[in-house]
Amino acid sequence: MLAKNTQHKALHWLGRQLFNRNDPEAFFDPLLERINPMWVQEYTPARVEQVLSETRDTKTLVLKPARRWSGFGAGQHVNICIEVDGIRRNRTFSLSSSPLLWQEEGLVTLTIKRLPGGLVTNWIHDHLQTGAVIGLGEAFGDFQIPEPAQPVLFIAGGSGITPVLSQLETMAAQDYRAPVTLLYFVRTRDDVIAREKLLALEARYSALTLNIIATNESKEPRYLRDRDLDAVPGIKARQVYLCGPKGLMDLAQNLLYQRGFAEEDVHSTFFSVGKADLGNETLGGEVQFEGSQLEVGSQGDASLLEIAEAAGLTPRYGCRMGICHQCSCRKTTGTVINRLTGQASGPGEETVQLCISVPRGPVSLDL
Amino acid sequence: MKKMTETQLAELETDLNTIRDEVLADLGERDARYIRRMVRLHRSLEAGGRIMMPFGFIPPVFVAATATLGIAKILENMEIGHNVMHGQYDWMNDPSLHSQTYEWDTVCTGDSWRRTHNYEHHTYTNIIGKDRDYGYAVLRLTDDEPWKPWHALQFINYILLSVFFQWGVGLHELETEKLRSREISWREKLPFLKEFARKGGRQAFKDYVFFPLVTFPVAPIVLAGNVGANLIRNLWSSTVIFCGHFTQDAETFTEEECEGESKGHWYLRQLTGSSNFTGGRWLHILSGHLSYQVEHHVFPDLPAHRYPEISGKVQAVCRKHGIHYNTGSFAKQYGTVVKRVLRYSLPEKLMGMARAA
Ligand SMILES: Cc1cc2nc3c(=O)[nH]c(=O)nc-3n(C[C@H](O)[C@H](O)[C@H](O)COP(=O)(O)OP(=O)(O)OC[C@H]3O[C@@H](n4cnc5c(N)ncnc54)[C@H](O)[C@@H]3O)c2cc1C
Ligand code: FES
Repeated sequence: MLAKNTQHKALHWLGRQLFNRNDPEAFFDPLLERINPMWVQEYTPARVEQVLSETRDTKTLVLKPARRWSGFGAGQHVNICIEVDGIRRNRTFSLSSSPLLWQEEGLVTLTIKRLPGGLVTNWIHDHLQTGAVIGLGEAFGDFQIPEPAQPVLFIAGGSGITPVLSQLETMAAQDYRAPVTLLYFVRTRDDVIAREKLLALEARYSALTLNIIATNESKEPRYLRDRDLDAVPGIKARQVYLCGPKGLMDLAQNLLYQRGFAEEDVHSTFFSVGKADLGNETLGGEVQFEGSQLEVGSQGDASLLEIAEAAGLTPRYGCRMGICHQCSCRKTTGTVINRLTGQASGPGEETVQLCISVPRGPVSLDL
Repeated sequence: MKKMTETQLAELETDLNTIRDEVLADLGERDARYIRRMVRLHRSLEAGGRIMMPFGFIPPVFVAATATLGIAKILENMEIGHNVMHGQYDWMNDPSLHSQTYEWDTVCTGDSWRRTHNYEHHTYTNIIGKDRDYGYAVLRLTDDEPWKPWHALQFINYILLSVFFQWGVGLHELETEKLRSREISWREKLPFLKEFARKGGRQAFKDYVFFPLVTFPVAPIVLAGNVGANLIRNLWSSTVIFCGHFTQDAETFTEEECEGESKGHWYLRQLTGSSNFTGGRWLHILSGHLSYQVEHHVFPDLPAHRYPEISGKVQAVCRKHGIHYNTGSFAKQYGTVVKRVLRYSLPEKLMGMARAA
């Protein structure tokens, strides 16, 4: 093992000398991509094996990642990269299949909903076809099922069902021995994602109680209410997992905290950038881009990435929401506020994510 | 330099910005396909050259291998490396083609290049005393620079600079002229020297140690071929670069002229300080489209393969404003470079006398 490791390190060193790059294994990618896109080394390539239609605006991609991909735990997400009109775009999606499918058949699924006006989701729906190869990052996220088994309540809305699907499949397969309830909110009955799968799970996995609620079929919208929670047996003892649109998440959190739930028993996954309340902070300041010998002022909650781009710079970026660290950059001095958490950084030299860092006072960057 | 009022300069700026905006709005798939094709071609040539090289004991194979590797290096340095590092493809968001992290197949480190070339040369183009690319501190190419006796032999320097071009460019940031005049100290240059040694060592190791060693029985042949490939690249790239700014009509500027200049004035300086040469498609590609030096200097971060497409529009803007658009055949432009190197090896006085006689 040690010998193999040393050998690998030596090869990597040699590759760096010969090819002048830190990822020498990717040097021949442009050629390999032509021969077989699954041989690309820079990211993990994944071939689209099938495209399944779930609802009017949701499709499931069945992907076969290259074998070197490290796998995932139920409830985790991945960044995918797709090139649209010459520009590489990174987006985050939850893995909607169970890790067992990956272990046994080398397949994973992503369930993707069209976002009105969204670039990549619409491109996927309109152009991505079986046989295409997309890029896959390593899985991340800690939206995971408690071990050993505890009673669980999932509250999901719309496409927020995706990580829950993965978890339910996994729980059913390992016969997770605790009551599991899913409250699944959809606009109308036609918007239920993975209906067959959910019904099959309910039939085969007796611990599961499934409650699908359509919010927009009646005159008055029918949102989550206290009575839905009352109906969950032994709710007090449950670990709660929330995933869905912001309105639903806020509502659910309020109802749960009113019932005396502790924060550590309520787990949430956000599909969009949850902005921290930066209300009474005075933000903005002079930003100095040392590498480019440029200094620009900013006001309000513009992120360093936005400030840099407005100044004509083109820093590297990926997700633009604090997930992928593509935009990481050395800050030499100054304080920044994390847009997601509202927390202030230290004043000294450190690495920051440009896309979620908002300057508070003067900031210098190695950019 | 042509004198223009601030209003005229503002109009020049608007005209050129219009050309730029049109290209920016149109960037996409086509440009991505182009640069990837160049990268693929480079990888194929590099692999081909390296594989053929050990069979160089057959003379025609030696020539083919050396030329292939030389062309690979030229393509990588000129059309890929130089242009990627200008940020021409940053919009693609491809980490392998990003200006800030790209490292090229030559002695000069990407970081040093980004400082001396992208920043100094492209900002202070042809300003004597500020643009250290103008004559590379070894050539006197204008009477604005006082004559010294050693300039009389500068043609030898010119040859040496061309032959060892990658090392010259690598050491450019050392600013030896300032070290000699004690303006800066060696200590200040230590970090630079370390980086230089690392990259220079890496390049020398690859071409002069590693590849000859792994083909041991034919090591001398591989070594000779690799030296040859580097030489081809050195001669070609230095020649192309010299043709870009040292031709007869390429103007130089003084610091006073450019103090607090507007963007329009900067544009004017780029237009009059650069020179193009004409030729076929592959000549342009192998020069990294620096044959469109004028377009490149006006729009250093537009993908270079677009320069031929916008050249007509740039020429129209030049005509409209009565600005000389400097172009000619490669032979003609190069001839004026050689003449310039020779001419300024002699002091102004002497040249004046020769003319009077
Ligand atoms: C951890 C995590 C897991 C996720 N899992 C899933 C999943 O399993 N399934 C799923 O379907 N989704 C999931 N998402 C959401 C998914 O990542 C987004 O829907 C996706 O990134 C949208 O990409 P897009 O290119 O289509 O939209 P974008 O083009 O990035 O647009 C995003 C939003 O901004 C708006 N917008 C676009 N351009 C502009 C502009 N110039 N000015 C103002 N607004 C603009 C769009 O209308 C849209 O509302 C997840 C997100 C996260 C963070
Ligand atoms: S761009 Fe992904 S973390 Fe900033």
